Amino acid sequence: MKICILNGSPKAGKSTSELLIEYLMTFIKGNDVVIYNVCKTDLSKVQFSQIQSSEVLIFAFPLYVDSINSHLLRFLIKLENMGFSNKNITVYCMINNGFYEGWQNHVAADIMKNWCKAVGLTYGQTLGIGAGEMLPFFKDVPLGYGPNKNIGIALQELSHNILSLDQGDDLFTSPNWPRLLWKIASSFIFWYPKAKKNGLKRKNLYSPHSQI
Amino acid sequence: MNILIHDLSYEQFQSLFPDIYNDVYIISDTGTIQHCIGCFGCWIKTPGKCVLKDGYGNMGALLSKSEKLTIISQCFYGSYSPFVKNVLDRSIPWLLPFFKIKNNETHHKRRYQNKMQLAVHFYGNNITTAEKETAKKLVKANCANFYVKNYEISFSNSLKKLCGKVTTI
Repeated sequence: MKICILNGSPKAGKSTSELLIEYLMTFIKGNDVVIYNVCKTDLSKVQFSQIQSSEVLIFAFPLYVDSINSHLLRFLIKLENMGFSNKNITVYCMINNGFYEGWQNHVAADIMKNWCKAVGLTYGQTLGIGAGEMLPFFKDVPLGYGPNKNIGIALQELSHNILSLDQGDDLFTSPNWPRLLWKIASSFIFWYPKAKKNGLKRKNLYSPHSQI
Repeated sequence: MNILIHDLSYEQFQSLFPDIYNDVYIISDTGTIQHCIGCFGCWIKTPGKCVLKDGYGNMGALLSKSEKLTIISQCFYGSYSPFVKNVLDRSIPWLLPFFKIKNNETHHKRRYQNKMQLAVHFYGNNITTAEKETAKKLVKANCANFYVKNYEISFSNSLKKLCGKVTTI
């Protein structure tokens, strides 16, 4: 099966979207898979034709301000303008957000469904994952176990549908980790240490910026 | 201060809104805007200010002065246009990186305490019913995250009709 994975993360370093693609790859081994980051590289005509001739398109991207980041949005419009002569393509999405609840990705999922209607492709399924910034901390935990339990189960269902070209209901999930602990950890394990590396104290993070 | 974010060309804007008041701060596409790169610099490096230097780096501070925010945007698949979305993506310094729980959802805490009203005017030739429904959900979600209590939303299938919908800015 010809599968094209489009990474829509504009992040400079390694992104959660990239990690989710790595996870998914373990479920779809043996297929003809190409991966492009559409926010970091200008695709060539050959690469666009690969997208247009694939059987499956998988978009992996982060949620920005409740929806699709502007870079990926421009790319979607470009794809629509180029058109798809081959309509036998099923589209799947893996969306991650910084909030805890995976279902906060539902608007972005709806936008992707509307895009599919506009270009005439079939929408397969959404996997919306919350607490995306937390996932790299658990990258050494096997999928389906511990904090990666829910994500492993959801990826299994998504990959099953991908490989059989089936459609499925939206899957919204979060790490198997209490929300309160996640909320506390986000400050003390994520934001404060990052600020400290930049020479900032905790109180500096709350400062209003007055310059207009 | 009232702020207007729009994606119209200079000529379209002048033609549709020739009498716009001087006290409206207008954010339009100068062709220089860069995409948010998800670096979180606006939260953990230069809190409240974006690290990208393209003339759109002070959206957090600007929004902190806003009483009413008006958005005029072409509707794409139920989303804002890329330029308007770009501006909103660059507006997260108005928020803090930290979280709170409201209505059983996690949201970012706010950096500023100003209360904004929001008016969103979408335009486009063939906005489908599904796209309108998505756009309504999107604006509602934006309001939850930017602590907006009062908002209005409209759809116009032409710029002329849009002009009639935007009665106050």
